Amino acid sequence: MEQIKLTINGREVTGNKGQSILEIAIANGISIPNLCYNKNLKVYGACGLCVVEVEKVPKLLRACATVATDGMVVTTNTPRVMQARKIALELLMSDHEGDCKGPCHLNCPARTDIQGYVKQIALGNDTEAVKIIKDKISLPASIGRVCPHPCEEECRRQFVEQPLSIAYLKAFAADNDMASADPFKPVVAAANGKKVGIVGGGPAGLNAAYQLAVKGYAVTVMDMMPEMGGMLRYGIPEYRLPKAVLAAEIKQIEALGVTMCNNVKVGKDVTLEALRESYDAVLVAVGAWKSTGVGCEGDKLDGVLGGIDVLREVNLGARPNLGKNVAVVGGGNVAMDACRTAVRLGAENVYVIYRRTRAEAPAEDLEIEEAIEEGVDFKWLTNPAEIIGENGKVTKVKLQVMELGEPDASGRRSPVPVEGKFEILDVDTVISAIGQRCALEGFEALELTKKGTIVADEAVCTTNLPGVFAAGDATNRGPSIAVRAIGEANDAAAAIDAYLSGKALIKVEPYYSKRNKDDIDFSAYEKKARAEMSCKDPAYRKGNFDAVINGFTEEQARQEAARCLECGCHDYEECRLIDFANNQPINPSRLDGGKHSCFKEQKLVTIERDQGKCILCNMCVRTCREEAQKGILGLVHRGFQTVIKPEFMDPATIADCVNCHKCADVCPTGALKILK
Amino acid sequence: MIRVIIGEGSCGIAAGAAKVHEAIVAAMGQSEPFALGSTGCIGMCFLEPIVDVYEDKTLLRRLVRVSPADAEAIVDAARTGDMSKVDSITISDDDAEFLSKQTRIALRHCGLIDPTSLEDYRANDGYEGLAKVLSTMTPEQVIEEIKVSGLAGRGGAGFPTWFKWNAARQSTGEPKYLICNADEGDPGAFMDRAVIESDPHNLIEGMLIGAYAIGASEMIVYVRAEYPLAIVNLTRAIEQARAANLLGENILGSGFSCDMRIKAGAGAFVCGEETALIESLEGKRGMPRLKPPFPAQKGYMDAPSNINNVETFANVGWIMNNGGAAFSAMGTETSKGTKVFALTGKICKGGLVEIPMGKTLRDVIFGIGGGVRDGKSFKAVQMGGPSGGCIPESLLDTIIDYKALGATGAIMGSGGMVVMDETTCMVGMAKFFLDFTAQESCGKCVHCRIGTKRLQEILTRIVNGEGKEGDVELLEELCVGIKDGALCGLGQTAPNPVLTTIRYFRDEYDAHIRNKKCPAGECVALRTYSIDPDKCKGCTVCAKKCPANAITGEKKQPHQINADLCIRCDQCRKNCKFDAITVE
Repeated sequence: MEQIKLTINGREVTGNKGQSILEIAIANGISIPNLCYNKNLKVYGACGLCVVEVEKVPKLLRACATVATDGMVVTTNTPRVMQARKIALELLMSDHEGDCKGPCHLNCPARTDIQGYVKQIALGNDTEAVKIIKDKISLPASIGRVCPHPCEEECRRQFVEQPLSIAYLKAFAADNDMASADPFKPVVAAANGKKVGIVGGGPAGLNAAYQLAVKGYAVTVMDMMPEMGGMLRYGIPEYRLPKAVLAAEIKQIEALGVTMCNNVKVGKDVTLEALRESYDAVLVAVGAWKSTGVGCEGDKLDGVLGGIDVLREVNLGARPNLGKNVAVVGGGNVAMDACRTAVRLGAENVYVIYRRTRAEAPAEDLEIEEAIEEGVDFKWLTNPAEIIGENGKVTKVKLQVMELGEPDASGRRSPVPVEGKFEILDVDTVISAIGQRCALEGFEALELTKKGTIVADEAVCTTNLPGVFAAGDATNRGPSIAVRAIGEANDAAAAIDAYLSGKALIKVEPYYSKRNKDDIDFSAYEKKARAEMSCKDPAYRKGNFDAVINGFTEEQARQEAARCLECGCHDYEECRLIDFANNQPINPSRLDGGKHSCFKEQKLVTIERDQGKCILCNMCVRTCREEAQKGILGLVHRGFQTVIKPEFMDPATIADCVNCHKCADVCPTGALKILK
Repeated sequence: MIRVIIGEGSCGIAAGAAKVHEAIVAAMGQSEPFALGSTGCIGMCFLEPIVDVYEDKTLLRRLVRVSPADAEAIVDAARTGDMSKVDSITISDDDAEFLSKQTRIALRHCGLIDPTSLEDYRANDGYEGLAKVLSTMTPEQVIEEIKVSGLAGRGGAGFPTWFKWNAARQSTGEPKYLICNADEGDPGAFMDRAVIESDPHNLIEGMLIGAYAIGASEMIVYVRAEYPLAIVNLTRAIEQARAANLLGENILGSGFSCDMRIKAGAGAFVCGEETALIESLEGKRGMPRLKPPFPAQKGYMDAPSNINNVETFANVGWIMNNGGAAFSAMGTETSKGTKVFALTGKICKGGLVEIPMGKTLRDVIFGIGGGVRDGKSFKAVQMGGPSGGCIPESLLDTIIDYKALGATGAIMGSGGMVVMDETTCMVGMAKFFLDFTAQESCGKCVHCRIGTKRLQEILTRIVNGEGKEGDVELLEELCVGIKDGALCGLGQTAPNPVLTTIRYFRDEYDAHIRNKKCPAGECVALRTYSIDPDKCKGCTVCAKKCPANAITGEKKQPHQINADLCIRCDQCRKNCKFDAITVE
């Protein structure tokens, strides 16, 4: 075979005479993006991604179709080439009707593979499900019980009837796994000799510890409280998250070799500087443990308590007497935990004072519902004007009646006082649950925001101190939900790993193809009601801290999991299109427009075709003709309306299909799915 | 002997020539001293139907815009020889200049001979070029003669014909095919149809010479099925040629054998692209192939093939008869011979114009075409159909030459010349062509399939007044990307109408986007209708005609239009007797 020499990207390479530029590049390990080339098939040249510049040739050439000649000088990444490729990718993506990932996944702060684990639960593989969950959330039984589940807000099943009960499914799988003879244990990489110190044993600290331990780091978690768990342990009441469940999950993390040190407070027992010396990297995940005051006259009176302070005391085992009448100020989940705890501590009249209406309340609606069931009296559209006391002790609270005014910048209608309209409640205790602040004594070396939180990079969690990372409630925006802290811990763990391996610290949000829900016909799905979680009777609940929910039955969980619409693409990991779309910056939304007919999915014996994901590389058509020697598929219509269908939709032609699945094997996207 | 010849090409028939023919037959007696016959298309669309009266070979009168009512007078004149009877329908000297200013080679017989008669063709030097070639020239000498002539592909690309012929000649492999591309698809181009309908033997002769030059044993004419008369006339001509030993075995005793057949195409624009045409010929979906290999190496049925356009072949017989040098004596340094243009749009005198290369656009549009009709002013001319571009008034003195036209952003193309006046919206014009190319994209490559669709969508939103700041830049970026990335000529040239209108009429784009106004007043969505209270007499006609009930007013009082209800159907303006409706 005659050899030729050519230059690709300044590198001299050799190839055989008659080979294309692309073939020679591939043989020499030089990658040129392509979507319609396959070495077993005749060259087709449709996708236009493999264009290259060849010296002295004015036009861009398709590398797949250009026979290389001796002495050719090829460049695969000039600005002109990149621009043509960018346009090709933007055009393809602008007409790509598919979800790379389900909306549940994209709305989960921890970016859990929800579709993946829900599928395993549907199949009865709980341990497999936990394996998938723990890749992102190492405390699934706990988080499954307390998470306000942003995933469910976006779940597309709601457009059929109701969203999937994702959070409870997670708890179900984790409970089952934990109770099994052989619970999931991650593979732990060999020790790499590097040490990471984590300050704070809450969801962020524990999750970072898990993720880093799995990668072979020697991790020590330090916490000021007597037990690990942070706000999960000391903030969330027992009736929502039984501490035994949390303890068991923490024990699993400890079993990976993580050292847990309780009753250690930075600034008192050890300095941050000392930690920086002892560890190769430090993660600060200390949370926000200080209650914000009510901020009205009388808020320093005896009997005015902080929400998280009350919750912490109760979680430490105390049963404080809050008196007969208790007012909780605030409309968030801490307020709900506080009011329901007050009920359980024996208060007869528990009020929630909130200046907006139920619709605006940040607390989960289910929590509000359960609080009402337990007899809590919600004083919507009121605001404490003054806390009145006798002898330094709270006796009454004066409420300013509010109404909703004009929408503010965030679109929420802001409450305004109704002039001269007040209400007075007799109370023994006022609990302030309107927010938390950080207590960062001992971390003075860290740069803080105006809000008093640690300034941390949003993507890679770095602080102003080299080697010191920060995540969770103590950073940036301040307190949020546990799963957000867990998500940040994942970022922090990845960043610490990169930092300690000498790699660049970058987190790039991948480009995903997303469908518009309005383009989806949900009427085709059979309606199946969301599984209802069985709860203990409200009358029973009021007298104790027993868990409110009973958990799903096996049958419930399997059926619930099977409701998943599987929005995310089955082929995401293998998809060459999304791979290239993430190779260079693209912005397909500027080319938004019509999509080629995508709603009809055709079945060809055991293959399902999703026209919306088809990029017309014609690989299936060519494979069927050239490789399988069948020629069942062909192109129908012209221009933008072109689709791939069995030739002439002829039943006799279709009957020739022998289910060799060669077409699906070569499809570069998820347009072809082999049905089981 | 007096002969009355009716122009009955497709266009003449469309204008009423068949009815004129019937009327003349009806007016004729049992025996008349004159003969009645028909010819093809002479290319003066604006004067159809046309009837020529000859005495032997001398044209006595050319009668234009003839109606069946003129039949008696025509018969009378032909019977008596008194041509004054048809004075009123005789062509004016001014209109006659439409032809006299032309130099006709490809169209030399069109409208003059009877396309159904081989004898008529032969009587006008027909097949003399072929006879000369077969008896005195080697294939190499033929190619050399074509090289001397400087003939370039008239289908649009303008590639030297001799080069293609030579490549096919050099290519090894048997059999070889010679293919004629008669898939004339550019909107507004019809010279190929005219040649096949009006002078089919000219095409056969040109193709035979080409087949001899490359060594082809079979010739195929790929003609669109929308040209039924062309197919009928060519089919008849093939049969006549076969019977006269001009086709088939041992042609004219030369030892050269070659036959010809017609393939009717289903009318996909992209099948005018030579590799898509080959796919279609092979019975496959019409989609372009990758080049190389070029058809000269691997064409129809993977055999060496040469493809030329009808007009290209129509010059070949003449060149052989008159010599390559005579052809190259006409034209410019880089473009030789003549070129046929189909002059349409807002032009006074529309039709087929064949002129030597090197004349200016002004010569064609104003000198021959008489300028813009209805007293409007010239705005631009679209050259080369959907693959071409527009040329503004300021560049009217550009000479007709592949290079000079290319420099304007337009192309010579197959010769479509669509003239636009001040009432033509250039954004709308670009959209029109993108509607066409998006529709006609074969769907194979990404840039063309999705890219033309996106261009069309952006242009649509601009003409609807929904354009956004940055849309023009986006169009330009997309256009460049499509030109760079598209697989075949259709996609690579599809952005040209957009790019040239932006280049020369950027202000019109800006007016649509920023001011939501169409300066030409053509974009319906951007029109505002109102009633001039001074002119309105309150006759209530407009209110009655308005399908949207947008017009209100008391009788004999000025009316008003509710802009929110108005659907801009123009009914009020068309029906107002007092010119009281104003449109902005």
